[in-house]
Amino acid sequence: MPMFLILAVLVITIILAALVTLRPSLTLARGGKILAFLAFFIFPVFAGLLGLENHMERAKQTSFCLTCHIMGQYGQSLYVDDASYIPAAHFQNGRIPRDQACYTCHTDYSIFGGFKSKFRGLHHIYAQYVTGPQQPVKLYHPYNNRECLHCHEGSRSFEQGAIHTVDPQTMADIKSNKLSCMTSGCHDTIHNVKQLEHVKYWKPVQ
Amino acid sequence: MMLTQADPINKKLRVSGGLISLGLLVQALSLLWNHPLSFIAFVSVGALLVAGGIGLYLFTLVNIPAVRPQDSLGDKAKGQTQQI
Repeated sequence: MPMFLILAVLVITIILAALVTLRPSLTLARGGKILAFLAFFIFPVFAGLLGLENHMERAKQTSFCLTCHIMGQYGQSLYVDDASYIPAAHFQNGRIPRDQACYTCHTDYSIFGGFKSKFRGLHHIYAQYVTGPQQPVKLYHPYNNRECLHCHEGSRSFEQGAIHTVDPQTMADIKSNKLSCMTSGCHDTIHNVKQLEHVKYWKPVQ
Repeated sequence: MMLTQADPINKKLRVSGGLISLGLLVQALSLLWNHPLSFIAFVSVGALLVAGGIGLYLFTLVNIPAVRPQDSLGDKAKGQTQQI
């Protein structure tokens, strides 16, 4: 829902709540009782849910993730001009939505995955402002192939890839997450932020 | 000065409305602030104030003394009114 509509709902709710607050005698009449119920219960809950939904959607934005200084280098790595950098190749070729690049690869594609991501985000805030972020930044858990397979499973390049089909066990191990996609020698160049000073960068055509 | 039944209810309504209005204001401001802390402000300040206000309002609703039919005439005579 557009921001201005959410803000309009919030402002209308504030006005109604303020009206009943300043003139509680309105509730003497039947209409006033209904107005109070709307202003003090239905509208605030509705407005709160709209706001929550907006915050959840906004937290998926690449620009939102990059508001934290520590994420700056990870954002920069999306522009590395080297196809072996997996996030950069995905970002630059539109394999993931650019405006939700971080979220697309770092959410859990499981039931309640979105909420788990949100809780991880809250932990990021705790780490950023209370305990201090760990250096270097590490994932909480090893990256799960499930997040790659969410898009790649069933695609020709994945299902018929020479290495993937070298033997039936390899494919089974990839799909069951026993063999990581990022195994050394496979897709093992990820953000690689330590090397960012020594690489060329892609400049998108405006 | 005579204290009517409506006075404490009005007071609770005012507090409840104040909490809700303030909470909604915080929520609205948090939506205009594009920063990870804005979500914290939305939940821990805005939503908490709104929830407190709604809770107080509902508590007030369920705690209105019941008016028995035979009392209502007498109440009117005393200037007591029931609100909400």
